[in-house]
Amino acid sequence: MTSADFSTVLPEFVLAFYALVALLGAVYTGKDEHGPLLTWLTGGVFVLLAAWIGFSGQNDLAAFGGSFKDDGFSRFAKVTILLSAASILVMSEGYMARRGLLRFEYPLLVALAVVGMMVMVSAGDLMVLYMGLELQSLALYVVASLRRDSVKSTEAGLKYFVLGALSSGLLLYGASLTYGFAGTTLFDGIFLAASAGDMPLGLLFGLVFIASGLAFKVSAAPFHMWTPDVYEGSPTPVTAVFATAPKVAAMALFARVVHDAFGGIVGDWQQIVALLSVASMFLGAIAAIGQTDIKRLMAYSSINHMGFALMGLASGTAYGVQAMLVYMAIYVTMNIGTFAFILGMERDGRPVVRISALSMYSRQEPLKALAVLVLMFSMAGVPPLLGFFGKFYVLSAAVQADLGWLAILGVIASAIAAFYYLRIIYLMYFGAETEALDTGGSRVLWGFLMASAAAMVFGIVNLFGIEGAAALAAATLVN
Amino acid sequence: MPAGLVAARMLGDSPAMSLFLIVALPFLGAVLPGLMIQAGRRTCFLTTLLTTAAAAIGLASHAPAILRGETVMARLPWLPELGLDVNLFLDPLGFMFAGLILGIGLLIITYARYYLSRDDNMGEFYSYLLLFQGAMVGIVLSDNILMLLVFWELTSLSSFLLIGFWKHLPEGRQGARMALTVTGMGGLAMIGGMLILGQIAGSYDLSVILTKGEMIRQSPLYLPALILILLGCFTKSAQFPFHFWLPHAMAAPTPVSAYLHSATMVKAGLFLMARLWPVLAGTEAWTVIVSSAGLATMVIGALIAIFKNDLKALLAFSTVSQLGLITFLLGTGTPFGAMAAVFHILNHASFKAALFMTAGIVDHAVHSRDMTRLGGLRRLMPITFAIATLAGLSMAGIPLLNGFISKEMMLEEALHTTLFGTPLLVAVVAGIGALLSAAYSFRLIAHTFLGPERTDYPAHPHDPEPGLWLPPILLMIPVIVLGVAPFLAEPFVKLVTGAVIGPGAQLPKEHLALWHGLTPALGISAAAVLGGLLILSVQRPLARLWDAAPRPEAKAIFDALIGAIVAAARLLTSRLHDGAFTRYAAIMVAAVLAAGLHAWFTGSGWTPGREMLPVTPAALAAWAMLVVASASLVVIHRNRLAVLVLMGIIGLMVSVGFNYFSAPDLALTQISVEVVTIILLLLALNFLPNRSPAESGAARRLRDGLIALAGGGAAAALIYVILLSDFPAASISDYHLANSYKGGGGDNVVNVILVDFRGFDTFGEIIVLGIAALVIYALTETLLSGPVRARLLNRGYEEDRAGDAHPLMMVVLTRVMMPIILMVGVYIFMRGHNEPGGGFVAGLVVAIAVVMQYMASGFEWAAKRQRYPYHGIIGAGVLVAGLTGIGAWFVGAPFLTSAFGYVTLPPLEKFELATAMGFDLGVFLAVVGAVMLSLESFSRLGRRAGTEVNDHPMDIDPSRSARRTDPMGQLDAPAGPGHSADRAASNQAEES
Repeated sequence: MTSADFSTVLPEFVLAFYALVALLGAVYTGKDEHGPLLTWLTGGVFVLLAAWIGFSGQNDLAAFGGSFKDDGFSRFAKVTILLSAASILVMSEGYMARRGLLRFEYPLLVALAVVGMMVMVSAGDLMVLYMGLELQSLALYVVASLRRDSVKSTEAGLKYFVLGALSSGLLLYGASLTYGFAGTTLFDGIFLAASAGDMPLGLLFGLVFIASGLAFKVSAAPFHMWTPDVYEGSPTPVTAVFATAPKVAAMALFARVVHDAFGGIVGDWQQIVALLSVASMFLGAIAAIGQTDIKRLMAYSSINHMGFALMGLASGTAYGVQAMLVYMAIYVTMNIGTFAFILGMERDGRPVVRISALSMYSRQEPLKALAVLVLMFSMAGVPPLLGFFGKFYVLSAAVQADLGWLAILGVIASAIAAFYYLRIIYLMYFGAETEALDTGGSRVLWGFLMASAAAMVFGIVNLFGIEGAAALAAATLVN
Repeated sequence: MPAGLVAARMLGDSPAMSLFLIVALPFLGAVLPGLMIQAGRRTCFLTTLLTTAAAAIGLASHAPAILRGETVMARLPWLPELGLDVNLFLDPLGFMFAGLILGIGLLIITYARYYLSRDDNMGEFYSYLLLFQGAMVGIVLSDNILMLLVFWELTSLSSFLLIGFWKHLPEGRQGARMALTVTGMGGLAMIGGMLILGQIAGSYDLSVILTKGEMIRQSPLYLPALILILLGCFTKSAQFPFHFWLPHAMAAPTPVSAYLHSATMVKAGLFLMARLWPVLAGTEAWTVIVSSAGLATMVIGALIAIFKNDLKALLAFSTVSQLGLITFLLGTGTPFGAMAAVFHILNHASFKAALFMTAGIVDHAVHSRDMTRLGGLRRLMPITFAIATLAGLSMAGIPLLNGFISKEMMLEEALHTTLFGTPLLVAVVAGIGALLSAAYSFRLIAHTFLGPERTDYPAHPHDPEPGLWLPPILLMIPVIVLGVAPFLAEPFVKLVTGAVIGPGAQLPKEHLALWHGLTPALGISAAAVLGGLLILSVQRPLARLWDAAPRPEAKAIFDALIGAIVAAARLLTSRLHDGAFTRYAAIMVAAVLAAGLHAWFTGSGWTPGREMLPVTPAALAAWAMLVVASASLVVIHRNRLAVLVLMGIIGLMVSVGFNYFSAPDLALTQISVEVVTIILLLLALNFLPNRSPAESGAARRLRDGLIALAGGGAAAALIYVILLSDFPAASISDYHLANSYKGGGGDNVVNVILVDFRGFDTFGEIIVLGIAALVIYALTETLLSGPVRARLLNRGYEEDRAGDAHPLMMVVLTRVMMPIILMVGVYIFMRGHNEPGGGFVAGLVVAIAVVMQYMASGFEWAAKRQRYPYHGIIGAGVLVAGLTGIGAWFVGAPFLTSAFGYVTLPPLEKFELATAMGFDLGVFLAVVGAVMLSLESFSRLGRRAGTEVNDHPMDIDPSRSARRTDPMGQLDAPAGPGHSADRAASNQAEES
């Protein structure tokens, strides 16, 4: 390991080091009583790292012989991951502390998962890819079953683990086939092997299996089965974690693999990604209609959103990657706001997740209801809110890549999906009288909700400039 | 228009207001009413009125240019990356619509000032109204179709807020939901259409798209784009089959109904159809879809309107019907149709807004809109009566009023239109539509104002204050003027028509005139009026029939549809997500199979790169055993003990297989691992019932079996293909074969890889192995200190226990074998560097030797005799390995660099010593420790109440009983399950 290599992975190293030191420190001192402090501290570390990565040099570096890449693409993804994880951690502190769920391991496991995600998005080698992916997954398996006394939570964790292991196995199988037929695990080498003339069948199978494994991680249909159960079973803050940072990481990794390693054979994976996209969009849109639990609804909603993000990826162009990145950034922002609201849904101090509990919410909390209205419209992709721009970006990427059929199907799916977002709005403004939810609540949550809703409205001016950053990021990936 | 000209215009060779400002004014003004309401209702009203008036004046300042036939443009980049720019343009069509929006807006604002009661929050209302107004103006002035979409959905949003303004009315809720669902989804569909349109034209600017009509109509994506855009238009303008939401949205305050649901918002769909007319119209698809939808809407809306008793409901359905009429005109695709449509848009806006306002006045004055409770108001409310009669007759198409002219034009157009190859079909349907329209218009007048005066009005009817009747009166001016002298409007209508059909097309030669001679259209018109009167005379009996007759109720259908969709979605979800893990796994496997098939069929094909090895009888036999054992395992998998036996066979055959393919190392490792895992599974059997219960039926098993067969078959096929393929890259084995002895000093490549080439990996692996064992230990400890402990201890025995738990034969045998096995372990360890073997296998072998002692003499007995804790052994292993690696530092080499040399000790042959051996020792120790610690942890769980701790290595010990002189010496002999009850009892007490 040369010092140049080391300085390239310094952010990851710092975070891992922080997590280990904090873990040891907490074990030998107050354990769970340090939970709140550690949560805020970890959030702070995330933000600092995000600033560091965001404002550090614009050079593209490769460490460890090209198996770890620090480029514009990975920096964009890392900043998104770190900021969203920090937001969720800070939001979850009050909720978990009040319910006695705030073990000191929680923020540290999330930190380790984030290390895994950062490694994932920087992967330039199948080994590094797998290492990052598993570090992330293992930490998240544990977090999913954090509420050990709840049957649902442990069941969700177990299902997630077993299916996740299956998908990891699939991915490894694909990776070993790829290695066998490309002769290297480095993405650059695979790129050359894949683009050179006739592609060997083994490499194609490798690609297909790797794509299937990654589809599981982004919870794209038909590899999405774990999502609703895990979303429902996990404690709500954990659900919020699942809905944000890991999705960005997995999607970025997906883009990294298909472009960095298989970018020369776009035609071979384009169909697969497009099919995943269509299946996810429709499944997410249709299955969510019948849901009564808002967390399950969010699960299907995220499946639907992943379908749209995959549409950007399916176009196979730099513009498509840019669209995907913009979409993911907007998606994460919307989800943070929505989960800030869901975390605050309580009746007599007990969490409520039934959608019907939102009836006539606008009467009790007009401002919060308005914020949720904005968020829901944005999720549905209604102009002029920010969500529309995300959808429009991926749709136009698809159309430009001659995937008109995909764009049309996407529009239909978004119209179907609008139904359940509108239903929430309808309930809040016109629902039947019901037992009221508690008013007031945490200021932190309120702040995140309002900030997110405001972003949906004011972001339309220039998308906060993320499109430029996304364009740069996409340009470093696809060339 | 060139940019320079635009700039010149914007900078003002004439004092015209910037288009940006016209659009922005209502938005900016929308904050004012909310603030001004503090200063009183009057101030609030005036600010709203002034804002709108300012925008209207701004629009008027462009009138000269527009009338000269120019187009005003204003552009500003927004998100150029997306093709989204704030480009506005004003042409005659936009000018007409903007004028309608702002002009009627002024009247509505005035009307609402007097209509809203003191309890209503006027500031909120005006804010929403201005927001809506701004969005509408934005739609009609947008040059960029994405901007248009933005404004389009903004109207949905603001109308949602306006419809929901009176939240306390239950029908308002339903209406708002339906309106939002239908128009929202339609709008989203339209996004797709617009996107395709922009993509075909290469620009999102309308001014560019409109010039590319031919190109767009030729495109293969024309039809999808058309359908998606029409979905947006039809939902917005309440065209069949989406006509049902509009009447239900009428629960909103009357000014909202008048403004949104008759004059402006519902016309947005018409506007867009007119706007895109040069691009989309003129094809077979356009004519069929648009004109038939329009005709159907016209007739259905009119028919329902006749039987509605609520004034507003009648007006709502009449609006639906009239919108259908305009849609039909646009759908014919001829310039004349377009001209008629433009003229009728103007006419309808004037008389329908007035009618809504009079309905509001009646409601306001009488406190009822139910026509069965009204009637005879003509003397009590003369002004209202006059307005309603004029507007109503215009709607019925009576000469000298503007409605007549445009209806004539419509009938004229219908006579020239052929749909579905049937001439006259359109004319007949249009005639029926006109007849029904006349009928409901007459009914509106007759049942509200004519007839005898009643005594039971809910409130005393009276004409309202001028603020309420002045706005509709103003609207009567165009109704009469254009009715008497339609030629006044002709230049403007033709100008707008020219904007609709585009610069290339020929303007229609016909003139707007009251009298065209005795045309067939006039005949139909006359018949329609007479027929309308006839229907009015028999309306009451007909209404009874109507009520009795079963008919599709749109709202019920909508609700049923939504219900069905929700039920279908639930069904899908419950099928896919029934919570069963097996279901999830099945779907996943099926998906992977499909993906694999996809890869196989899209791949470049495959030709075997090498020959299959010859199949020897021995290999065939072994393969048969493997297959038979696997298949039997599946069949009898419920019998757990038998399964273990079969698994042993499979493991053995796999080991043999490794050996057969010249991998003795792997074979050795495999067989050791097999033994250890079988022991582990035997331990686990302790906690499991003998047989696993059957939970699934035959059909399900069949399905699962098929999926499993497919999965297995696919895997086998894949392996077959890979085994017979040539790998493009050179194998790395050559490198290892070449360097194993040279660099690592060993002939056994596998071992050299483990301890040398990949020593760092192995070091990591033994640490992980140790951690895993420690975790197992920690978990079982936690488990045993929790509530589980009592349950574990008090499990009953399912079957009779062996009388002889620690049999003599086994104890003796294991004791004898122990030193032999240990020796084998040492041997395997020592030869590992050059021959198959090594620290890992040796560790497993030694672990087996120790485990055998546990099995023979019992856990407690063996544990007592164990001197070093297994944790320590693991730790020692890791340390030894680590220290060996660090040793390299002292000679200046990187971590884990190995060295070897040859040593001669006198009595022995020359032999090799390698530092790798120290490392291998670490591996050995870690493996022994890890295996033993985990097995020990599991066996702790196996303890239960009633298990006595044996002091002796075996139950029956001949030497022990021989030593005793006691004639009752057989006391030590074992009894059955209840053996030494007192000891068991004391044991139990101790445990609890």
